[in-house]
Amino acid sequence: MNAVELVPGARFPDLDLPDHAGNGRRLSELAADDPVVLQFYRGWWCPKEQAFFRRLLPLQDEAEVAYSRVVSVSVDPPAVEAAFRAGLGARWTFLSDESRRWQERLGLVESTDRAHRPYLPAVFTLFPDLTIHRAYNGYWFWGRPTNEELRQDLRAISQKLRSDWEVPRS
Amino acid sequence: MTWCWFAVCEDRPVDALASAAFTADDGRGCGFLVAWPSGHDEPVGAARIDGRAIDPSGGEAAASLALAPPGMSLLFDDIAVSQAIRMALSLPAPDALSTLTQGDTRYVGAVTVVRGEDTGRLNYDPFGVLFPAWRLQVGAGLFADMPAPAGPVIQRYGAGNPWPFDRFGS
Repeated sequence: MNAVELVPGARFPDLDLPDHAGNGRRLSELAADDPVVLQFYRGWWCPKEQAFFRRLLPLQDEAEVAYSRVVSVSVDPPAVEAAFRAGLGARWTFLSDESRRWQERLGLVESTDRAHRPYLPAVFTLFPDLTIHRAYNGYWFWGRPTNEELRQDLRAISQKLRSDWEVPRS
Repeated sequence: MTWCWFAVCEDRPVDALASAAFTADDGRGCGFLVAWPSGHDEPVGAARIDGRAIDPSGGEAAASLALAPPGMSLLFDDIAVSQAIRMALSLPAPDALSTLTQGDTRYVGAVTVVRGEDTGRLNYDPFGVLFPAWRLQVGAGLFADMPAPAGPVIQRYGAGNPWPFDRFGS
């Protein structure tokens, strides 16, 4: 199966996966009409992921009032994701690709880790219709977006998305 | 996306969109929980509820109904309301959840619905910190199975809309 091309301007596949509570979810439903930070991570055990999540958490305090979504995806089972999410204090949705149904199709298999076969760390910023705004390769930690880069992406998407971005004058 | 009117009534109104008999677990009372479409004239004492929480064909359920005493309310933007919503996003997702609002700015309660054997999710209702919460057994014909809030957004999508009503426009 050929991997889909995950580049700016392409449409991200509408993932259908269980969330951290085991409920079936679709990425488009989670996005609703808001910009999305879509993050793929190796697993709870990876120190780099732990460090990156600690970076994302302060952004949550902004996203919660800025009509923006965050979705995290791994191959961890839902119960493990739920425990990891609770321990972090994350209040966004985690999706579980425990069956690896999407991993290969997305071309996000970390082939250098044969023990865990985790997701290749990656972050995408998306429009609500799942069009990719920017893609970040997080294999090396410094490839991951800073919160400032994510803010800039969310601003750019929101600016195009919100018809009243320019203050309405009545 | 839409919202509905929602109220506690002594009798079942004939013009309701959906309704169900309830009994309080502590024997404090019984009656009917009732929903009307948003286009209905505002029923006396009614609040707005996320329309996705209402389903006339929904099955029986257990619920926690946190409700402001008559004449009382909080600003929806009160930090105590924000914190209750954050807590709700941190806890396991119920089968349905909506805040209850009046006018453009007022918070008057929340309803949390679960089905099945495991009603432990109702043992701690974060909205019960703000106003007294009733544990109820609710008959069929009112509550839906609605998607869990995606998080992390805690804001209303437009003044007067109840949270989590998760997109602008209705």
